[in-house]
Amino acid sequence: MKLSYLRQSLLQVVSLAIVCAGFAQVSHAGVIETGYLANQEDRATSIARVEVLLASAEVARQFEKLGVDQALVAQRIQALSNTELLLLEEQMDRQVAGGDALAVIGTVFLVLLILELVGVTDIFKSI
Amino acid sequence: MPALFILLSGCASIPPEIAELEASPASLELVDTPFFPQERYQCGPAALATAISSSGIEVDVQDLVDRVYLPGRQGSLQVEMLAATRSVGRLPYVIDGTLQALWNELAAGRPVVVLQNLGVALIPRWHFAVVVGVDTEQDAILLRSGVEQRRVTSLKTFLRTWRRSDYWGFIVLRPEELPADADRQRYQKAVAALEKAGRSEEAAVAWKMAINQWPGNPVALFGLGNIELSLGNDPEAEAYFRAVVERDAKSVAARNNLAIALARQGRYAEAMRELSIAREDASDPAIAAELADTEALIVELSRDAAAPD
Repeated sequence: MKLSYLRQSLLQVVSLAIVCAGFAQVSHAGVIETGYLANQEDRATSIARVEVLLASAEVARQFEKLGVDQALVAQRIQALSNTELLLLEEQMDRQVAGGDALAVIGTVFLVLLILELVGVTDIFKSI
Repeated sequence: MPALFILLSGCASIPPEIAELEASPASLELVDTPFFPQERYQCGPAALATAISSSGIEVDVQDLVDRVYLPGRQGSLQVEMLAATRSVGRLPYVIDGTLQALWNELAAGRPVVVLQNLGVALIPRWHFAVVVGVDTEQDAILLRSGVEQRRVTSLKTFLRTWRRSDYWGFIVLRPEELPADADRQRYQKAVAALEKAGRSEEAAVAWKMAINQWPGNPVALFGLGNIELSLGNDPEAEAYFRAVVERDAKSVAARNNLAIALARQGRYAEAMRELSIAREDASDPAIAAELADTEALIVELSRDAAAPD
């Protein structure tokens, strides 16, 4: 049990390292990106390189979970700014997706509400 | 009963600073804007194709689907619409969320991609469309939307659906174009993101536009330095970083990158001097790793140079 847990953690670390290596900029060691200076004027805190790597790995994982073809994940992540990456890392679920899909929960709610109003159901009055 | 009332009328009036136009502008419509009717759930790629091709690039909608569509969400995210624009070498710029800003971009010949909520808060239906015109006589907005090539929406309805996305909209700029109302900081971030996305050639053009608009702009000079550095043009990079340091002697980032440009030209002592000045002024832990890497690089390069072949 303990061994398998250790193995699993190791695997996670290794796979994270592989993913991070994939996103590591080809730019040369030590160079500070232009985005750093562009953000400096109105940001209290700046984004460290390691945060960007971790966010890239996490967003990649979420993209794959949401059905993005593995071959496309890296190119989509590369096109995001560091700020955008951190936004997605922290709140992908809360981001609106424009696609005309109707939220099912909302529709069900409306139907229930109408049923309630015409007296067919009695769900809300008990609350 | 009150619940239904709120559901149907949950729309306060639109503030005048958003809905009003200065003076009394004439109607305008970008009739030549191409149209890409959308497939199911794919208003994002369709709207993007409209705006990108209108900026003069031929696009393949399927390629854009691959860049922005999220199957698990049955839609596309705003930030990915911007990212995909960068990946074809165009500069996405989020405009101010006002009717005037919309009108100004249309007047400059650029359609505006907008995010609307065509439903209500409880039953949202998020939709990307492209504004191509304003009819000031009929008080209507003209859109490429969904499968409708020329959708006419009353101004009131449009503003109500647009408000739910906080009046979010963006334009697709060619690198040599500036937005109608360019906000310096927003523009700088937009170009830096284009550069980071690997489109250095386009970013260099945009940085030069920024220098025209805001002479001596340090972020633009720094960006040009970084592009030269990435191309291996170290003397050119050095000149740009020096120009930034001249304007801001305390720019840690510029001195750090200047040190790299110098070291790569074999000027190790100068490089070390710049780096140590940078270190004295450095207070941001976020770039500690870069400063350390730069020192390691200088040491390594000077050791290699000293070692006999």
